[in-house]
Amino acid sequence: MSTRHLMIAAMALLLMFGAASAQAQAEEPAAATARCSDCHDQAKAFLSNPHARGQVVKNDVENSVCETCHGDATEHMQTGDKEKISVPRGRKGSDETCAMCHDLTSNKRSHRMGFHANSDAVSCLSCHSVHKSKEEPLLAKSGTALCASCHTQAASFRNRPYTHRMGGGGMTCTTCHEPHGRPGKDNLKATSSGESVCLGCHNDKRGPFVFSHGGQEAGGCTTCHEPHGSSNPRQLKRAAVSQLCLECHSPIASTHTLGSQPPSFHNLTQARYQNCTTCHTAIHGSHRSPQLLK
Amino acid sequence: MKRSLFAVLPLLLIAATAGAQTIPVEVEIGYRWADVSGNENLYRTQINEREGFVLRSLSFFTSAKAADHFRVDATDLGATPAGALRVDAGRTGAYRLRLGYRAFDTFNSLPAFANPVLAQGITPGQHTWDRTRTMFDADLEFLSFGKLTPFVGYSWSRNEGPGTMTYFLGSDEFSLGSDLEETGREIRAGTSFSLGKVSGSVTQGWRSLKSTESLSLTQGAGAGNNPGSILGQPISATKITRNSKIDVDAPFTNAYVMADLTSRIKLIGDYVRLSADAQGDETEDSSGSFVSFEINRFFLGLNETSSSRAKNDTWRGSARAEVAITDTITFQSGYRSEHRELQGSGLVTSLYRDTLTLGGLDPRNVQEILFSENTLNRDEDVLSAILSARVIGPLSLRVGYSISNQDFNIAPDLAEIVVPGSQGGDFSRSVNTFDISATFSQPLFSIGASLRDDDADEAVLRTDFIDRNRVRLRANFHTPGNFLRAGLTADNTNQSSDRLESGFSAHARQYIADVEVAPIAPLRLRGSYSQFKADSIVVTRRPETFALDTSTYAEDGNSIEGGVGLLFAKASVDASVSRFENDGSIPFTMDRYRLRAGYDFVAHAGVVLEWSKDKYEETPAFGQYDAKRVGLYLRLRP
Repeated sequence: MSTRHLMIAAMALLLMFGAASAQAQAEEPAAATARCSDCHDQAKAFLSNPHARGQVVKNDVENSVCETCHGDATEHMQTGDKEKISVPRGRKGSDETCAMCHDLTSNKRSHRMGFHANSDAVSCLSCHSVHKSKEEPLLAKSGTALCASCHTQAASFRNRPYTHRMGGGGMTCTTCHEPHGRPGKDNLKATSSGESVCLGCHNDKRGPFVFSHGGQEAGGCTTCHEPHGSSNPRQLKRAAVSQLCLECHSPIASTHTLGSQPPSFHNLTQARYQNCTTCHTAIHGSHRSPQLLK
Repeated sequence: MKRSLFAVLPLLLIAATAGAQTIPVEVEIGYRWADVSGNENLYRTQINEREGFVLRSLSFFTSAKAADHFRVDATDLGATPAGALRVDAGRTGAYRLRLGYRAFDTFNSLPAFANPVLAQGITPGQHTWDRTRTMFDADLEFLSFGKLTPFVGYSWSRNEGPGTMTYFLGSDEFSLGSDLEETGREIRAGTSFSLGKVSGSVTQGWRSLKSTESLSLTQGAGAGNNPGSILGQPISATKITRNSKIDVDAPFTNAYVMADLTSRIKLIGDYVRLSADAQGDETEDSSGSFVSFEINRFFLGLNETSSSRAKNDTWRGSARAEVAITDTITFQSGYRSEHRELQGSGLVTSLYRDTLTLGGLDPRNVQEILFSENTLNRDEDVLSAILSARVIGPLSLRVGYSISNQDFNIAPDLAEIVVPGSQGGDFSRSVNTFDISATFSQPLFSIGASLRDDDADEAVLRTDFIDRNRVRLRANFHTPGNFLRAGLTADNTNQSSDRLESGFSAHARQYIADVEVAPIAPLRLRGSYSQFKADSIVVTRRPETFALDTSTYAEDGNSIEGGVGLLFAKASVDASVSRFENDGSIPFTMDRYRLRAGYDFVAHAGVVLEWSKDKYEETPAFGQYDAKRVGLYLRLRP
């Protein structure tokens, strides 16, 4: 049996286990005490909410779950007065509720220091829909659409013909970026072994190679590639491959730069030479060819 | 169709939960029809939504004693270019299990890309692939050990399938068919800890990659790309086979620790170390009529074996302090250091069979043994400081400064050097970065601005900037009740270099306006206009004449989008249309139409209709397609 079949079988078993367990629980009798969910649909929706974990009893959430963020609800329940319950909103609400549990700082990210630091312009509640969401982790919209509501300039890259598969079952902005802020360039995530986030999927480009491409070692993947979309089918920064290559591989100055040697005497007026990677196929690195030919 | 297996999941869930009405389940499943005219390869390269069964979405949640939360989410499984399935299960105080499955169909086959014979009317290009990338992740945390939270994880990925590529041999290029299988695995284990004011995590992992690729001459490609002859000798191949095997093993360690010195001062340190070892073996057996200027001989065959080993040792460590001066004003300062060391060596044994000198003399076999080794060291240190004031009345402010120093040392083997004196050496670069951003917020609007300025002392690559600055402005406005929402974004980036006679200069400008109006409760109208302009120039040298030239690249795009959304209790409609025109270096036009309409015919069930059309045209004319898809889906909320 292949690994794929084993994975499918494992997932199916998990699903059956979950469904059967739930059915057993659904047969338990309902509670008689007054609950938040008697009036508030959001409370019913909380059944599947991570904030209710461990506090779902008889197909309903304990009132204490709601009171964690909304405070003591006794007076509100007795009078029905909307003013007698706390409703966290904006930066202040985030500071006084979300941050009570979700620490402002961890090793990799800082809610306090990041670009989305909890402020009057952007707070936790700007992106997270705490009561009900179809999007993990409790996002107000799907990840890509949510980021695009402010970061329109990045979202406009979708107008390029060659992009990563965004949305649906593909990637989202947070596949690569850490929205809560992270030390380093562009809040980019890293693999568990500390490497560029690109290598999490493109692991064949990791090497190490006997002959590495210097541009990749010096500047990373984005030396040549435009990850948000490009007019080039390999998401290169230039539409034509030879143009990209020659911009580095041109000897002009007396003091040389990395890779500034001339690429032989190739005649760029001939179609054979206009795409450098027709011959230099192992462009990310080679175990065999110093000129990255194979 | 392999991913269509997952279409059984919703049926399984619905059957199993028939008696448990309180379990939230949402399923959308159906069939999609596709009609593509024009260049289907181009359509598959860009979009690749195919005809077939599609599990558009699935959301399932339940809880029980063994797992107080058990959630399954699936998206776009079936005849889609990318699909995902996630399971998140656990019991509070006991464990948490997360499983993830993702699958991508990667297709690339274009008429112009890597196609030296396009002028002869031969398409598609010689670099193509039709592969699948499958990824699986599992992470299990044990939550019942008090101050310790041990965890284990496993990741598996596979990239496999056919493709085509070219191979330079005997002074010509030949098209090869490729069969690739790459399997990556990662096992990780460790523990998080929380010991009062000190917390952190330690992970030890082992990563591996096994890659095998078989390449063979494509049928009918024996004449190569060059129709002419070399030194009066036509170049051709009757057989080319190459088999390669690469094994990579990479143990790694990842750790961080965070300490609350006082209620206002945190110290955070992290460290990661990776040691990767790659072993490569390759064999080649080729026959035909070739010429080599390396050995200055004609030859009729080549047998080659190569064995190589490459190592990568990388470590990175950082320490930073975060000081909360007040509840809303924070200062952070940190230092990060990284060292990367690459070493590689390879032994290539080449047997040129039945050779003759270029004058047609001295028939014999020639064996060449090449041993080469090279090294690359890279060091980078970054010192940074950031002051963040989240609330100064209606203003929030963030100011940062960093100094980054990079040093490279490259020692290439003689075999790697094409022109002596140009390949290796020592390179250094220091970049000072200042950035400031401010946002002014009021209940109905906010205005934000950010400025970033980078100054470097040297360039390592010719396209490295010496000066770079970016200005970004963003404004948002909405009326009470969100009857009207409007936003404006302007972004301008300039970079240049006065070093190395490169004449490098690049500008990118982007302006975006979007507006959304909700005149009545169920109706929402939206529209946006954006403009993107980019241009860059770099002085280059033409390789065939060595004359100076200027590499000019331009993008000039305009996009206009409009949409309407209608939402009623039982029915919903969302439609949009967009057009993007780019008059840059490769002019193209993209038109997109989307319609999604849903109707619930009973309380827990409905239908969804999706219609989409993509029309793409680029110059030259062979890059165009017109693709329409219609999907009909059953939506269930039992």
